[in-house]
Amino acid sequence: MRPRTLLRIARWESTKGLGGIDRGAVAVAVAAVAFVLAVGAVAVTGGVALEDGIYRVGVSEDAAYHDPVAADPTFAAVDTDGRNVDTGPPTPAGDGGVAIGGFRGDGRIDLYVEERAGRTEIYVAFFDGEPTEKGLAALAALRTSVGRYNDALMRAEDNRTAAFPVTVSIRFLDRSGTVAAETPGDGGGGRSGSAVDGGNGGADAAGGIGDGATGTGESGGMGGDTAVDAASFGAFDLFGTSSTTGSPSDIRPPFPFQSLVLAFLFVLPLNFLIQAYGSSMLSERLNRRGELLLVAPVGRGEIVVGKTLPYLAAALGITAAIVGGLWLLGSGGGPLSVLAVVPLALLFFGTTFLAAMFARSFKELTFLTVTISTLLTTYAFVPAIFAETSQVAFVSPLTLVIMDLTHAEVSAGEIAFSLGPATLVAVICFSLGFGIYREEDLFTQRPVHLKTLDALASRIHRPRSVALVVALLVPFVFVAELLAVAVLFALPVTFSIPLIFGTIAVIEELAKGIPIYAGYVHARYGRTLAVAAAVGSASGIGFFLAEKMTLAIQFVGLPGLAVADAAFQTGLGAGDPAIVALLVLAPLALHVVTATLTAIGASRGRRLFGIGLGAAILVHLAYNVAVVSTVV
Amino acid sequence: MSKTTIAGREVRSLSREKTIVLALLIQVVIAGFSSFLVVGLTSLYEPGAAADDIVVGVTGEEAEALSAAAGDVEGLEVRRYDDRDAARAAFDANRVQATAHAERVGERTTVDVEAPQASVRKTFIVVQVRAVLEALERSERADRAAFRSTDPLSIPPSVDASPYFGFSYTVLVPLLVFLPVFIAGAVVVDSLTEEVERGTLTLLRVTPASLLDVVDGKAGVMAALTPIQVALWLVLLSINDIAVANVAPILAITTALGALAVAVAAGLAIAVPVRQRAQLSYSLGMLAAFTAAALLPEHPATTVARFAIDSPTLVTYAHLAGYVAASVAAVVALRRWIRGVDAEALG
Repeated sequence: MRPRTLLRIARWESTKGLGGIDRGAVAVAVAAVAFVLAVGAVAVTGGVALEDGIYRVGVSEDAAYHDPVAADPTFAAVDTDGRNVDTGPPTPAGDGGVAIGGFRGDGRIDLYVEERAGRTEIYVAFFDGEPTEKGLAALAALRTSVGRYNDALMRAEDNRTAAFPVTVSIRFLDRSGTVAAETPGDGGGGRSGSAVDGGNGGADAAGGIGDGATGTGESGGMGGDTAVDAASFGAFDLFGTSSTTGSPSDIRPPFPFQSLVLAFLFVLPLNFLIQAYGSSMLSERLNRRGELLLVAPVGRGEIVVGKTLPYLAAALGITAAIVGGLWLLGSGGGPLSVLAVVPLALLFFGTTFLAAMFARSFKELTFLTVTISTLLTTYAFVPAIFAETSQVAFVSPLTLVIMDLTHAEVSAGEIAFSLGPATLVAVICFSLGFGIYREEDLFTQRPVHLKTLDALASRIHRPRSVALVVALLVPFVFVAELLAVAVLFALPVTFSIPLIFGTIAVIEELAKGIPIYAGYVHARYGRTLAVAAAVGSASGIGFFLAEKMTLAIQFVGLPGLAVADAAFQTGLGAGDPAIVALLVLAPLALHVVTATLTAIGASRGRRLFGIGLGAAILVHLAYNVAVVSTVV
Repeated sequence: MSKTTIAGREVRSLSREKTIVLALLIQVVIAGFSSFLVVGLTSLYEPGAAADDIVVGVTGEEAEALSAAAGDVEGLEVRRYDDRDAARAAFDANRVQATAHAERVGERTTVDVEAPQASVRKTFIVVQVRAVLEALERSERADRAAFRSTDPLSIPPSVDASPYFGFSYTVLVPLLVFLPVFIAGAVVVDSLTEEVERGTLTLLRVTPASLLDVVDGKAGVMAALTPIQVALWLVLLSINDIAVANVAPILAITTALGALAVAVAAGLAIAVPVRQRAQLSYSLGMLAAFTAAALLPEHPATTVARFAIDSPTLVTYAHLAGYVAASVAAVVALRRWIRGVDAEALG
């Protein structure tokens, strides 16, 4: 691969549409500016309130709850004066002064509040003798709302200690007793990192607590003032670094909201970039446009990498800008954050490249890119939510970003564990797509399954190269099996266990069998029995090694995680060498035998491939059942 | 060749490429993902989700008051310890999940809480402790009523309400309404730019069909598919015990917004017949519009949520009327503009 050629192709790709200011570029620019302006305007005016007016509350002007209901946009206050609400008898509830009852729901209001005999009576809408779900939900919302209203009321009090008589500080400790992170209870503009080791933020926070503990009435008063300030912009506490103040209602449970916001910030631009990237790659395939590059004296690798580079550079540039912006806002992001986004971006581009190679039309590509966006966003998003609670979070590279931004320490092992699998899958996708980046596949409308065979066969040159292709498919096998488990998990055990066994047998045998078949279709090796046995063994051994290697990676990457231990309990701790050997060799023998069955079938043509594969699946299933019934 | 022929071909190509199946699959994944997210996160907070009670070790001179306040909170017990070291030892041995040291400082009660850093139940523990502290704050406030000019209101009792109720209507239903709308426009952009880029529009032009017929046929199909998809989702939701009210207005709003999105998409695709540019402008523009809609008195998502949860007001209906009017205007304007476009110039 020659850097000069690579850069030239990259320059062509990035300047393709910039020959003059055409209408398309203007449209994109206008839309982008409109988006930025809209986000800005909405951020200034206070965001989107989805819950506005979803509960209708009938409350009279003189009722104590009139003000909190009017102040909370979740409620739509309905004027009930002069209307007859058919209420039942109320019973006292809550902490004094409140009674609760029901009224016959008429579809106009969900809650009815009335001031009667010196107490507040709340009525929930009933339908068919049962309180409606909506009425109960409205009552729960009213409870939160009144609490908030009370705090606002108390903030206006002159006597701070009577308004906020309790101050709290929360510290998060490891069980060994070392301070993990602190939230200052009072005063002090100290920034407490939610960092694992506290860092210098922790030292500030300790000072804050000192103030609180020795504080007199006066310093308490300051604390109250801080509460007012904090409430005004506390809704957007991105890193949990601003101090929570003393009052109990100011305690924010460690809800990983910042992770969600961050995940969106980093993943959103990627979604747009893959759209442009996919379009560009697919449009090469229209009207044989890409042929000019293919016949030019450049390698296919240079074309693909060169065309991908500008988009990757754009992704990294945007990420660096976001990290820089957050850094200015006071976060601790640095090169690690940008580095962590690299495999994620590669994964987005790799899958999109593969999709663009397979798609038959723009429409199909749109659906494929939306699917990719959805699935990869889920992959980046869900584990990162648990960044602060569980090691499993490191499955997603975004967790590294969050750790980095919040000043947390990450070990080299965690970085490798987080970046490794994503990079590997991205490389596999690129190499599969690269296999069909050739004249025969680019410009013809070949059916998808033939293209898949082409993509696989491009890596097969002799019987033993099947092992490598099968090994490359193992990550996808794991994903498919996880999906199957997730889907079948909800069924009763009597159905789900056999179904999962069956599905796993089918998935694994397909992963071993299809590359074998692809090799035969493309006549990469002879059709003798000996060759079939060699191909089958290569496939079985490749699968076995890759499977065990992934387990080893998990074991190294997640020491101390119970799930990993459970997954790795293959009997290595049994002690007796005979048992260890048996437990290791039995799966290897199984994979070799079943793959050879498939290979023998595949060497005799398409129909016998199906029969061989079916036999292999049955053998695999029988083995699984036999093992489980002897072990359990 | 008439509009209906073009529309029929469009539907056939969608079904042949199985793209509609993929679209439904995407929507199921997104809906399932967001539900999973909310159910999973809510279980971090909900007392019912926890297997056993949280035990808090309390110490200090105000421990009595703290214990009394804890009596009202379900799923939490307190255990008294003589000093902080004993409580810390119990915490380290996992006999208590959190410790609280309460003492009187000046005119205030100060509580130092220690919660475990590495625990899946961390959030739940903090939520429970907060409930105790809020109860303590209420009783302490009541004791100091004489020193204040105002009194806080009594708090309504806590009830056994479904924590997912609001989410189903304010997030899930709008999501399922707006996804098909967005996708419809994206498909129209693809379908039109592809004809231009592949050069097949010229072939269509030798038939008696005008450019307007082509756009009508292609855009009309997607606009018609939108409410059908949404209707399907509403049926599925009602099977899952999420009763959606005001189905007719919701379908009306879907149709109107779908037509609006499709008209904008068709206009973009004709004005910028390059897929990469048109698609980028479309998706950025839609996001911009969806965000900017927050400046309206009622966001479209809120309008849908209010209809679905059966709390529509006059304002809600006014918005619906506005969307219908806007979509009619957009469709009329688009058709008038396309009639004047020279299809030769598109290439």
